[in-house]
Amino acid sequence: MTQTLLFQGLVGLSGAMSLWLVSAGLTLIFGVLRVLNFAHGALYMLGAYLALTVVTSFHQDFWTALVVAALGVAVVGVAVERLFLRPVYRLPVAYQLLLTFAFVLIFDDLVKIVWGAIYQVPPMPAGLGGTVIVLGRAFPVYHLFIMVAGGAVAVGLWALFDLSLWGKLVRAAACDPEMAAAVGINVPWLFTEVFAFGAALAALGGALTVPVQTVSPGMGEGIIIDAFIVVVIGGLGNLWGAFVGALLIGLLHAYGTLFVPVFDLALAFILMAMVLIWRPAGLFGGQTT
Amino acid sequence: MGKRITRRRLVGMGLAAAGGAVLARSLGAVRPVVYAQSKAFKIGAETILSGPYGGYGQFAEWGGRMAVDEINRAGGILGREVVIDFRDEEFKAATTVKNIRYHVQDWGADIVIGVDSSGDVLAAAEVMPELDRILIVHHAATEKLTEVEVYQKKNRHIFRINVPVYQDGIASALVAKDFYNIRRWATVSPDYEYGYTSWKLFQATLKHFRPDVEFVAESWAKFNTSDFSPHISKVMAAKPDAIFSTQWGGEAVAFVRQARLFGVFKTVKATMIAMGAAMDVLEGLGKDYPDGVWASCRYWFPYPATEQNRLFVSRFHERWKHYPSYVSETMYSCVHAAKAAVEKAQSTRSADLIHVLEGMALQTPAGRRVFRPEDHQAVYDVPWGQIAHPSAYPMPIIEHTRVFPATEYYRWPPFAKPFGR
Repeated sequence: MTQTLLFQGLVGLSGAMSLWLVSAGLTLIFGVLRVLNFAHGALYMLGAYLALTVVTSFHQDFWTALVVAALGVAVVGVAVERLFLRPVYRLPVAYQLLLTFAFVLIFDDLVKIVWGAIYQVPPMPAGLGGTVIVLGRAFPVYHLFIMVAGGAVAVGLWALFDLSLWGKLVRAAACDPEMAAAVGINVPWLFTEVFAFGAALAALGGALTVPVQTVSPGMGEGIIIDAFIVVVIGGLGNLWGAFVGALLIGLLHAYGTLFVPVFDLALAFILMAMVLIWRPAGLFGGQTT
Repeated sequence: MGKRITRRRLVGMGLAAAGGAVLARSLGAVRPVVYAQSKAFKIGAETILSGPYGGYGQFAEWGGRMAVDEINRAGGILGREVVIDFRDEEFKAATTVKNIRYHVQDWGADIVIGVDSSGDVLAAAEVMPELDRILIVHHAATEKLTEVEVYQKKNRHIFRINVPVYQDGIASALVAKDFYNIRRWATVSPDYEYGYTSWKLFQATLKHFRPDVEFVAESWAKFNTSDFSPHISKVMAAKPDAIFSTQWGGEAVAFVRQARLFGVFKTVKATMIAMGAAMDVLEGLGKDYPDGVWASCRYWFPYPATEQNRLFVSRFHERWKHYPSYVSETMYSCVHAAKAAVEKAQSTRSADLIHVLEGMALQTPAGRRVFRPEDHQAVYDVPWGQIAHPSAYPMPIIEHTRVFPATEYYRWPPFAKPFGR
């Protein structure tokens, strides 16, 4: 039994790390720009499709695909932020929601036009398709890789925001954009960079799912709901909150499947409701990044 | 600022309008064929055209269009040109009903065919009598459609051309009963009507022959599951000898790929995937489809070895560059069933069509089908087989096929026995 529990926990951890990559970008964008980006799931999907195309149409390897997907979607992020989001910052929040939701529909249809409505099956990258024996049972190498990747992104984000100058500028702009602008920081451009960075994280999350799942239009709709639950539990705008939230939801999902399958979908929502009653601002609410 | 946006918007609208006009013209290209009657015979077709099950709609549409073109080349139905319109079912009951209402009430469909999902078809069945149109189902598999909706509730507007869950839950067990070294079964299957009903039939039939088997674990995957890891890890913890699954379409592809990563096919002695021989799954998995997995479908393109089937497969392959999936054949045969009914009845009135379709025998690529008058279910048989990768085909196929006569594995009215006549 202990072995079953630990093994299921490991599966939950790898799920949590996939979720963390997507939630990190979502919460970052909210923390700095104060935009609830519904289109984040669509950016995740775009990342998956770009990675797929790099591998299947341009015959590049998986690692190149990851980089191209992240950079490509970052460029999309720049365009979306500069051309569309910027004019609505000062408008009521409903306008941002409508706008980003519109992008969900637009990107879904664009993907249908370019890649077709039917799911596609990308190849498995060399060296990651094997199994290792963990706790006496076969465990996928790929899932270990996802855990390492998720951990690496967490460390990288910590270094970026706590140690680098850019991170400090972003935090300054997030705390008080007007003061930051007054001391000479180019706040609008910084916002664009943060949005592009968040978009790249979403794309990375999408590209990392490509080898084990199928890729289809609308694939971002499932994950965006989970990601929203994660960032709400963690506290909107708080990166470490998103990390903890992703761990909670990932493990909850794995153990929910094991113990209370009929209730599995509701569990995440129940956890979110409990957190909101206990701490309305989320576990790490009130503090940004 | 306001002015600039307005101008930009104007240009955009102009471009959209121009594009729309071009599109409309190319879509409305005039055909040179002259029909005896000016009023077209309209077929509304419902299938899933997007997402993880979108492969099904694609293959079904190819089959349906091929049938319509064949019929039109031969002069149509009662001298009327046949037109077919496909709408995306989206795996939603409300969308399916809305699309059927559109097809019948706005577009003027004479008959409706299709519907993939069991949940969707039960919703659709409710509205067909009110719309007074026949629905010939090409894929949805719940036995409740024919056993309850038609047989018990006397909803005579529903017919079904495809073998239902008898294939998934009963024929599978007739194969599995001979796995003498396998006692412990587990399932990862869809968390809805089709998944439950198939597993229930499988358990009941297998227990009947093999009182020694145990069902040690089950995990139900929600619609649109992309990560099957928690499910796989859950059932493997119970150390099953074999896995039974009714995952289908893109979800079957994701399930098999992830099960490979967890070493499932090296650990268990047998795996059965009821709809694993659908063409989109075979093509989607390709060389990643492990040899020896037992799979089936609702029409297997090399079976039966008749001239009609051989011609159907070769024409289909020539036109679409794919081998037909089972829904290609069932959609194709739905169109031909509509033609046969209208010609026999010399009428398009639903009451007349129902009358002639009850008990009607049809020669189709899948073999001779007979619509049972009691439950409107077409009777024919389909093989189970094991995945292999012969070089003659660009995708895996099933070999070592086992076929049971429909009299042995269908449930028969009045449905008192668990299976067989």
